[in-house]
Amino acid sequence: MQIAFLAFCGGMAIGLFGAMGKTFGGKFTKGAVSAYVSFFTNTPQLVQIYFLFFALPEIGILLSSYEAVLLGMTLNAGAYLTEIQRAGFVSVHRSELEAAETMGMSLFQSVWYVIMPHVVKVLFPPLSNLYIIMTLGTSMAAIFGLEELTGRAFNVNAVTFRSIEIFSLTAGLYFLVTVVASLILTLLGRWLFRVKAKVF
Amino acid sequence: MLTSLLEELPRFLGYYNVVFLLKAAGITLALSAVGCSLGLAIGFFIAMVRVTRGNLLFPVRAVCVSYVEFFRRIPFLVTLMVVFFVFQALGWNVTVFTVALTSVCLIAASYTAEIVRSGLESVNVKQWEAAETMNLNLIQTLRWVILPQAWKVILPPAFSFFILFIKDTALASQIGVVELTYAGKILNNKGFSAMLVFGSVLLLYFIISYPLARFGAWMEKRLVLSKTGKR
Repeated sequence: MQIAFLAFCGGMAIGLFGAMGKTFGGKFTKGAVSAYVSFFTNTPQLVQIYFLFFALPEIGILLSSYEAVLLGMTLNAGAYLTEIQRAGFVSVHRSELEAAETMGMSLFQSVWYVIMPHVVKVLFPPLSNLYIIMTLGTSMAAIFGLEELTGRAFNVNAVTFRSIEIFSLTAGLYFLVTVVASLILTLLGRWLFRVKAKVF
Repeated sequence: MLTSLLEELPRFLGYYNVVFLLKAAGITLALSAVGCSLGLAIGFFIAMVRVTRGNLLFPVRAVCVSYVEFFRRIPFLVTLMVVFFVFQALGWNVTVFTVALTSVCLIAASYTAEIVRSGLESVNVKQWEAAETMNLNLIQTLRWVILPQAWKVILPPAFSFFILFIKDTALASQIGVVELTYAGKILNNKGFSAMLVFGSVLLLYFIISYPLARFGAWMEKRLVLSKTGKR
């Protein structure tokens, strides 16, 4: 859960800059951001983390398993979030931006004060969806020996051999966690941004 | 560093290794393609059950809804493990490929059921009512009225789900299916540089999924255009 939250925040930051670069940047920035996005969205997260964990030590960068998983998930989330936020940016009307420019706002100011208030409402549902997907994605950390929910299940399984019970329980726990998370997110969305969404 | 990589490259790209990696890529593709098509069929059936009304089918509907909600909320890795151990407990002697395929089907069915349902719901209610007035039954309504309009909404997200799943099958390496990721692990254990091995595995995944993603985007654009009539 902690990994999902941290990676989501990191990914948000990357995604924000990525989306800004892709919408307002010059040719080079646009190309670089598109390359980053298409690379990370078209390769599996697991193999990305494998690469970070096993290949980077060869050039002298040693990451602990926690760092590798966190970094991998952040980069991956950043790519998806770039796309989502870019879609939001595009939906803002051209004249709003021109108005912001007339007011003498810098790029950051216009993104923060003009675009953001518009798009949070549109962006909230896909963002909360991605958050749930990332919570499920943290189960990958178990492969690298981290003690999160699935990892703990692997370890307990190795001790007790009661496989079916343990993994069914794990599945149930994930279900519970994501149900609670999406409930909170939907309610939050309703109160903050008046998103009209069903709870289920 | 770089020189040692370059020295290793010809040995790594030997005939056996290349064939091994390509075969593994084929298994990755087969796993996701077969799993997703079966999943789409099951998902379609579930979505069909969910649009029915009437009290008689209520228990079936409840089962379908809880199935979809449940499998969309547990990680693929955990599903794999549960299926793996359930097969083991039942004493069926199946290959790990079958286990992986079953899990892919289970997950794909639940996701595509949602996609298909949203597609069916996108068709105007009046069309449903008109079909009812014409005294068409459910199958006829879907076949002749709803699907010709709904498939344009269903296909693009279903396709992008399929691409998403090509990447998720990487997790099947954990139970020992020799697909792309597992092949990478084997080669790495044979002593090839991890940089080289996982780099080329990443590249292969990219080669598989990038054209498909571009095709999906193109298809989506075409379909949206044809729907709004602006060709």
